[in-house]
Amino acid sequence: MNRVRTGIQGYDDMLGGGYLPQTANLVEGAPGTGKTTLGMQFIYNGVAQFDEPGLILTFEEFPQQYYSDAASFGWNFRALEQSGKLRVVLTSPEVSLSDLRQVGGRIETMAREVGARRVLVDSLSHFERLAPDPLALRESVYTFINALKREGLTLVLTRESTALLGDAGTGEGEEDIAFVVDSYTLMRYVEIESAVRKAMLVLKVRGSEHARDIRQFEVTGRGLEVQARFEGREGIMSGSPRRMAEAFDQAFVHK
Amino acid sequence: MSGQSTVFHLAGRTIAEMDQELLAFLKAKVNTFIKWDLVRFFHENPHTSDTAENIARYAGREATAIAAELADLAESGILVSHPLGNLPIYSLTGDARTLDLIARFVAACDDRQFRVAAIHYIIRSNKR
Repeated sequence: MNRVRTGIQGYDDMLGGGYLPQTANLVEGAPGTGKTTLGMQFIYNGVAQFDEPGLILTFEEFPQQYYSDAASFGWNFRALEQSGKLRVVLTSPEVSLSDLRQVGGRIETMAREVGARRVLVDSLSHFERLAPDPLALRESVYTFINALKREGLTLVLTRESTALLGDAGTGEGEEDIAFVVDSYTLMRYVEIESAVRKAMLVLKVRGSEHARDIRQFEVTGRGLEVQARFEGREGIMSGSPRRMAEAFDQAFVHK
Repeated sequence: MSGQSTVFHLAGRTIAEMDQELLAFLKAKVNTFIKWDLVRFFHENPHTSDTAENIARYAGREATAIAAELADLAESGILVSHPLGNLPIYSLTGDARTLDLIARFVAACDDRQFRVAAIHYIIRSNKR
């Protein structure tokens, strides 16, 4: 099956080889876990390794911030823009949604000009102020995602979760959005022996097999690096994992 | 001193010594500090496309303070506007010559002498 590889070693393996083409892929995590880095790496590797130009739609950070953050990983986004392989677009959910609904809108034109195949939307959380009720929110996000897919793009959508450690808990609207996307990756902080580490889990990939285990990852000077699965612990996504023996003990011995 | 063009003598440079094309650009199109900020903002974030209200938020200003300035910049060809319902959406022009002038203007503003002369020009012209 044809795959859109992120170029992030370990993550592509977790996804069963990469994202499926023209799909919407949600990456959710607490602030600082590396959602935007993953998205930028997806875009950068697209241009640098797979000759697939990209767009970044940002609803919060200025493009300058992306240029600067990307540069710290050795990714020259300014040069990619100058060579016509990338556009970093600062806009708002309401404007982009309205723009995409039009024939020949600005985003559509820009995507065609650069021959974009990938898009990073950072972040989907900003749609929540567009529509307070869950059904309207789902409808807006669904239209937005389909309009970008229509342009032949494979999407990475970031979304913030509020809890730093463990399960953030999802509201009704947030759960609805998870149904709209084709893949769903969770990034979490995890406390192990008084040190905070980062864990990721691919919860779903529609229409494909994927890894079910929870992997440790780090953001290094080269970007995101997915490492081995957490061994001998459980409760990883709760934020406070226990050794398997302790968990067994708690579950069976003391009851 | 004689004549308007030699009034400002700042840091060793008269306004007459400024790049005349940039001076004309300043006089005709970037004649307020808010416009100056907005021109720099769009130069640094060239693919911005948004309403006055959202651009005001990005720029840390009141929407009422910048709406008219954005309209002026669109009128003068630095920005383009298209409607979203009743609201205009602003983005940077695609005109290569204007983009080049903007880039030269922003680069010139990094030069203290140019910047000081330009600031004094805007202050004086707004007092009139």
